[in-house]
Parts: sequence; C-alpha cells; structure tokens
Amino acid sequence: MANSRAFIQFYDEPMWESIRAQRWALQQCDDCSQYRYPPGPCCPHCVGMSASWKPLSGKGKIISWVVFHRQYFDNYKPPYNVVAVQLAEGPLVISNLVGPEPEGGWIGREVTICYEPDAEQGSIPKVKLSAPPAA
Amino acid sequence: MTTGNLAKVGAVIGVGQSDYVSDHARVRAGEKPHDSYGYAAIAFRAALADAGLTRNDIDGLIVGPTVAYERVGEVLGINPRWGSQADAMLAVIEACAAIKAGLAETVALIYGNDQRSAAVQYGGPEAMGGNLFLSYVYHAPWGYTSQGALYAMMFRRFMEVTGITEAELGEVAVAQRLAASLTPHALMRKPITLQDYLDSRYICEPLHLFDYCLINDGGVALIVTSAERAKRIAKKPPVLIHGVGRFDLNRGATSLEPRLLDFYRPAQEACASQVFNMSGLGPEDMDAVQIYDSFSCHVPFALEGYGYCRSGEAGRFMREDGISLKGKLPVNTAGGHLSETYMQGWNHQVEAVRQVRGECGARQVEDCRFVHYNSDVAGKAVSIIYGR
Repeated sequence: MANSRAFIQFYDEPMWESIRAQRWALQQCDDCSQYRYPPGPCCPHCVGMSASWKPLSGKGKIISWVVFHRQYFDNYKPPYNVVAVQLAEGPLVISNLVGPEPEGGWIGREVTICYEPDAEQGSIPKVKLSAPPAA
Repeated sequence: MTTGNLAKVGAVIGVGQSDYVSDHARVRAGEKPHDSYGYAAIAFRAALADAGLTRNDIDGLIVGPTVAYERVGEVLGINPRWGSQADAMLAVIEACAAIKAGLAETVALIYGNDQRSAAVQYGGPEAMGGNLFLSYVYHAPWGYTSQGALYAMMFRRFMEVTGITEAELGEVAVAQRLAASLTPHALMRKPITLQDYLDSRYICEPLHLFDYCLINDGGVALIVTSAERAKRIAKKPPVLIHGVGRFDLNRGATSLEPRLLDFYRPAQEACASQVFNMSGLGPEDMDAVQIYDSFSCHVPFALEGYGYCRSGEAGRFMREDGISLKGKLPVNTAGGHLSETYMQGWNHQVEAVRQVRGECGARQVEDCRFVHYNSDVAGKAVSIIYGR
C-alpha cells in the first residue's frame, strides 16, 4: 500500500498551488462566467479558451456521502467518510467532512471549506459543517 | 429521432467461454492456468465449435480490452478484411454496423482477462483505468478510490431521492445468487437470504460485500454474421440482434455530476428510445433483462432508466414484482457479475443468446423470445435487444 496522491496534470498545477496557499481557486470562464472542475484547457459550457483563476467562496452543500470500511491507502484508515459537495460556484467536488458529524441526514447540509496539512500535497481542502444561521 | 437501422442485420450464431469454475479454483490455489490470450483462445475455439464454423470462415475481428487487437489476431492466425477493438456491448454494435456496411460478413468478437491471477487493482494507489476514466483516480487525495465507491456515492443519493432501502437493494444480490445456483458454470452457487445480505460487511457504505462483482479470470467469444447467412449456415437457431442503442454522458464526468445529480438517467432514456424504436419493441415485450452489474445498484438505476418501472419505484418493483427467475422480470439469469463471472459485460451477451435459444436448463426463462441487454458504465449507456 502507499499514501494517496494527487493526479496532477498540466492544468491542475495552478489549482494545487492555490490549495497550498489555502486559497483554493478554480478557473472561471471569461466568456460565460461558468466555473469548471477539474481544471482544463477550455470551458465545457461554451468552449471558450479564456479563463481566470478565482478563489472560491468556501461555501457549499453536501450532495451525497459514503463511509469507507476497507483500507486502500496508508493515510486513510477506515472507517472514514467521503462527501460530494456542490460548491456555491456550481461545480461538484469530492472531500472529507471533518469535525462534528450531522445529526440526522447529511445530504443538503451547508459546509465550509477548511484546510488540513497533507504529507503528499502540503495542504488539502476539507469541509466542515457551517455554523447554523443565527435564529 | 433518426436511428438508422441495424434491426435484424446481424445474428449471433456461436458463443463460447473458458471454464470459469475450474480456472478460478486453480487461481485461488495459487496457479496461473492461462494468461488473457489463453483464455481468449479457449473461448474462440468454443464459439467456433458452437457455430459449426472453422477459423477460415471468419472475415472480421473485434477484440475486447484487456487483450490487444493485433496480438489476438496473431495468436489465433486471423487476417481479417475488417477489424476493431471494443468492449462487449460496442463490439456487438460494431459487428452489426460492419456487416450492414459490407465490410465483413462473419465477425469474431473475442475477449480474455486474467485480472484475478494478475492481481489487477480496482482501487488504491495502483488503481487501473485512470488513463480512460479520470474519475477513477482524480479523487484519491481524499481517500476516494475504487469504482465501487463511485457507485456507493450514487446509490446513497438515490436512497435519499427515491426512498429505496438497503434491504430493497439486497433483492439484487439474492435474486442473482438464486440464478447462479441453477447455473453450472457460475462461480458463486450457494443461495443467500436477504438476512445474509444485510449481515454482510460494508465495503463502501451503503454498499455491502454482496453488492460488489467478483474478480476472476476468463475469456468469452461470440460469432456474429449476417442474418441472411445465419439462416443458411447456423448449426443452432440464430439469435437476431433486433436493435441497438447508445448515448454517452461525458460532461461533468470527473466531478460526478451526471452520476450524482441525474443517476445517468438522460443517457438511459435516450438509449432506450433508440433501441426500442429500432426494434419496434418495448419493455413489455422483454422476457428477461441482462444488466451490466459491476455493482448491484446498476439494476435499480436501469429498471427506472429503461422504463421497466416508474421513476422512484425500483425498490418497490424489486421487492413486490421481483427480478429473480421466480419474479415478474428475470434479471441477470445466470447470476451476472455478482455471482456468475466478471467478464465485463461479455458473459451477459452469452446468457442473452442462450436464453433466446432455450438452452439454459434449470434457469431457462419459459418461452423466452426477447432479451434486453443494457449497461451504463461510467455514463456510457448501451443497449442491445436479442431475439428470435
């Protein structure tokens, strides 16, 4: 076994730099304003070639979740969760929920991006439950 | 929708496979009976014998990954006038297209895989397939790996949206194990109960051990020829390909959007429209269904996506109407990937052909006229209807 590692291709490098700086950024299309994930050479919505890296708001909500009961990586000991999060900017991303777990259902819960140290990537974005709005 | 017309162009006149049971026992005992090419050769010889043909009758060749096109042709001494490399379902469609176009008349479709004895990894640091499907490797930094985990995430949301339960999903594993118990060449023949299923350990929750396919070595081959030639030369009743369909969802594939937000439904609906229009048939005409089941949850997704039940009702359909050989709609009648053999869709084509021929013995579906095969691997929906 080994640790999990990022699969970093040409367009991923600026994203992982932004994550190491704890300001996760994605490309926003200069033509149609759509965000894209994973990073890539053109906009899947309008095929525009021009894009700008924009830091994320850090807001999102849980779309789905699983719990691993089998070990695949040295640095992930089961049981551990993985969540799919729809970012406020639109794209779905995969992460882990850290801190308190939701009581009742997970799906639909608001989460906020946070950062943890990571042996392979330096830093890695995770999510935690957002504070409930003041009553 | 314009579909062109491949209806009744091609017919399957021969099927063959390696000895799954014996080879699996040997592999588990530490032996390596064959490599992928050996399994492919065994299956090809069996398919030729089944068709009553010789190697020299073959003028088209389609080879399924993981074996390489040229090497299979070299090993088997086939110099075809037309050739291709494709997975099981696309191989059948391409064979029909080549026959229709006059590029070939009798096409051998050949597959071999030594995935078990070669210790192919479907998750973890050495996970296969990342060169073809980025989602298989892209989320590893978060510990998210293995195709099973992708389907677990999809099924968790499906539970939330439709109310389907783990026990209802368990109907798939139980029904397919019953089918396998009546299938001499199936690997897992001991029947299980719903309680056995619920008691089995989670691999990636909400999916249990019994929701995962087997991993074993083997080979499969089919011989497809023109419907016209099939009538003249076939040793056994030819099985006609009445319709085919395909629709792919690629946008958002790595971030899992079509998987998690739509359960691949738009691809299945477009594919259903093609295959049913082409064949002039509908779900109500199908006597059995073969569904690509790397994981059990493919079954409820397909039942809804192809119109076998209403949206959101797959759980109730499986529990009340039934998908076993005793149920309203027999699904994966030899046990499928979960209990028969994991030949990546190839074994489903063989079972469809045998059911239409009526040669399935204890697991035979009575008066089986039409069998629908469908798959939605990574959002690539493919359908084929086999029939008399």
